[in-house]
Amino acid sequence: MQKPASYRPSMSRRWWLQHQHFVLYMLREATVVPLVFFAGCMIAGLWALNSGAEAWVSWQAFMANPLVILINLLTLAASLFHAATFFPLMPRVMPIRIGAKTLPVNAIVGGMWAVVAIIAIALVAYFIWRA
Amino acid sequence: MSQTKSIRVQRYLPEQEPEPFWQNYEVPFDESTSILDALNYIKDELDNTLSYRWSCRMAICGSCGVMVNGIPKLGCKTFLREYGTRVDISALAHFPVERDLVVDMDIFMEHLEAVKPYIIDKSKGRPTGESDTYRQTPAQMARYHQFSNCINCGLCYAACPQFGLNNQFLGPAAITLAQRYNLDNRDKGKRERMAALSEHDGVWSCTFVGFCSTVCPKHVDPAAAVNQGKIEAAKYTLINLLNG
Amino acid sequence: MMKHHIAKDEPLWWALFSAGGICFAMLVPAAILVFGLLMPMGIIPASAFDYESLRGLGLGWPGLIFAGGVIALPAFHALHRIRHSCADLMLGKESVNKVWAYGLASLMSLMAVGVVLVNLF
Ligand code: SF4
Ligand code: FES
Repeated sequence: MQKPASYRPSMSRRWWLQHQHFVLYMLREATVVPLVFFAGCMIAGLWALNSGAEAWVSWQAFMANPLVILINLLTLAASLFHAATFFPLMPRVMPIRIGAKTLPVNAIVGGMWAVVAIIAIALVAYFIWRA
Repeated sequence: MSQTKSIRVQRYLPEQEPEPFWQNYEVPFDESTSILDALNYIKDELDNTLSYRWSCRMAICGSCGVMVNGIPKLGCKTFLREYGTRVDISALAHFPVERDLVVDMDIFMEHLEAVKPYIIDKSKGRPTGESDTYRQTPAQMARYHQFSNCINCGLCYAACPQFGLNNQFLGPAAITLAQRYNLDNRDKGKRERMAALSEHDGVWSCTFVGFCSTVCPKHVDPAAAVNQGKIEAAKYTLINLLNG
Repeated sequence: MMKHHIAKDEPLWWALFSAGGICFAMLVPAAILVFGLLMPMGIIPASAFDYESLRGLGLGWPGLIFAGGVIALPAFHALHRIRHSCADLMLGKESVNKVWAYGLASLMSLMAVGVVLVNLF
């Protein structure tokens, strides 16, 4: 059968600006940009440890640059935003079932935030103890 | 019905005008007037050239999908009272438009067919005859039940930018249906479905935008099903590689 | 019968992306807090980050976990998203984007894990 004439609207490169849901999606995807920067900083830190005390001190000075601190503040916000978008997806993709019942989403999400807090507190506490 | 609302409908009449155009209609409404009621009013009272699809008027046939202010909606489940002064109705996004609000859904049907959305069971123990039936416990049914509520309305395809960018992507409803049968203990056809799901245009084209689940009128959560499908496709691909 | 072309590499990228996503959400905030904010702002005293003692830690077993969980896996997470964002924004060719994206993630992983391994063994 011959198909009738039809028209198919093409998508513009700016499709994601058309709805708030898509803007938030793009924001979530963008959280990885500061992450790449932070990972780069951490690679530099490991390499500085490898090179010697002088390199370590200048790496610390680099990390203390106000602009770097500002970007890392942004990175922290990005990682928390990523976590906030990611945690609620976990119980949807991997539902934990006990019989015919599914474990409540809030319990799992809450549990994952607890893990974030525990790891952060433990690491901070460890370095304070070292000082 | 003293109040009226002005509604813009995107028209496409290829024999008159090569490009789609907007047309205004003034429609009376009250608390219970749905978008579909408004379209019916236009067709019956104002302009009988308007084309659109509908059947059940109760959110079960899945044929009345349209974009309302750019968001995919079932016409019969969406009410004029929910909107302010702007009510723009256009054809479902990402599908070729044949006429006014009527889209060509062939590609959607092809994707549904590709995942074999029916129980496949060639085993010896399958039920035969009239008095013989499958047994399924409530716990076994709970595994897939949510995914079986799909009415094939295609709203999730209109919501999915990945399908908009590449219409070869199997898309939310088809992958959800595959997952629905894969999770059904009566089904033995998972292997037959996994090859289609494990292609680049299968589960891997999904980036978990998640808007499909937001617009789904039946709370199917196709985004969850697609991402469950990624775990299954990963397993299937690995087993395939190990078997050479 | 339709012939299916199974995407053999996608499960690997997706597994690395997912593991990296968990690390990004659970480990990276703690690392930023300590090395990106509290150390440079002097809130945790500098003596906690003294070179001699930190070298053994950073280039030892704890450093290996750090290199994997805070650098390598998050790098794969990040570059996987960047690859898909390029497709979303209709930038470049998918086959080319894949090469530089996962290439860069591999390079970053190698630089992080490699420097620790060289010191470990
Ligand atoms: S998953 Fe939901 S939105 Fe998609 S076709 Fe089925 S009912 Fe419609
Ligand atoms: S008319 Fe059947 S779903 Fe709307």
